[in-house]
Amino acid sequence: MAKSLLIISRQAPWAGPGAREALDIALAGGAFDLPIGMLFLDDGVFQLAPGQQPQSLEQKDLSANLQALPMFGVEELFASQHCLDQRGIRQLTLPAVCVGDAEISALIDRYEQVITL
Amino acid sequence: MATLHVLSHSPFTDSRLSSCLRIIGPDDGVLLCGDAVYALQQDSALQQTLERMPDSIGMYALQEDLQARNIDAGKRANAIDYPEFVELSCRFAKVNSWL
Amino acid sequence: MDCLTGQTMKFAIALFSPPHSPSSRRALRFAQAALSSGHEIVRLFFYQDGVHSASSSVVSNQDELDVAAQWRELLTTHQLDGVVCIAAALRRGVLNAEEAERYARNAASLEAPWELSGLGQLHEASQMADRLVCFGGN
Repeated sequence: MAKSLLIISRQAPWAGPGAREALDIALAGGAFDLPIGMLFLDDGVFQLAPGQQPQSLEQKDLSANLQALPMFGVEELFASQHCLDQRGIRQLTLPAVCVGDAEISALIDRYEQVITL
Repeated sequence: MATLHVLSHSPFTDSRLSSCLRIIGPDDGVLLCGDAVYALQQDSALQQTLERMPDSIGMYALQEDLQARNIDAGKRANAIDYPEFVELSCRFAKVNSWL
Repeated sequence: MDCLTGQTMKFAIALFSPPHSPSSRRALRFAQAALSSGHEIVRLFFYQDGVHSASSSVVSNQDELDVAAQWRELLTTHQLDGVVCIAAALRRGVLNAEEAERYARNAASLEAPWELSGLGQLHEASQMADRLVCFGGN
């Protein structure tokens, strides 16, 4: 039985390679058919905000990679309701399940390993 | 399946510790290292918050970081060395470092 | 599975910070303590800015701690498996001789015992290990 891994992505999308490199861990795990979950927390929820135009910063489109998550078998996607509310984000570009703080605690319990980036 | 949360950023300039305390489970542990030990700064509001945390939550701080910064672990936190850090990471089911 | 019962644990250690960061030194001391306590380190995986902690181009003053050198020494002494993420390393200019030649760069800064490989190695390590412990940030 493969060990499950939860990746908690806390980085805003355009603050450097952090968000993309966290996502790459998830995609690589998915490519190996590992049970991977991804939780967007703190500024990480900005990755899911609609209408972003990274071209204006001469950056590649992170959302294309995010959309690839389900194709790579990473279907357990979560976003912190508290962090979304705090930032006024109502619409998400990914089918992530919005979870409250207590649910996040249970979520971390459910996975065998966790990486918070 | 309790988690050891490891923090290393100053709680006065960074939101990691407050996020961690928001989602922490009842049997989880917190290990403060690096600038995160400033959370134990005497008479700070944070120190008082940490002291009010339920007893079931283990509170630890890396001794070398306390000593370097002249911070006392206080009554609530246990000062630990590296062998004890290793032991804690065995005792908890997983380690969640807030990088 | 539990060191309280005296059994050895298998650790995968991932580092995300450069050698001048306190967390690189902290990871090093943790790794040394784990080995001293009789545990096994199945792999060290350096990712993001952690790739700099494997660089052989770091020059420290004589009276300063040379964390990159200590990592190298730890790997050699204990014959540990040390993997540096290739994509993260190329992006940050940490190349071994083979990659320097491939991309026509005039300097290589990654040497054996470090190896460049992909993120799959991080996943493989965490599958092999009882505990994945990450170090980074401050």
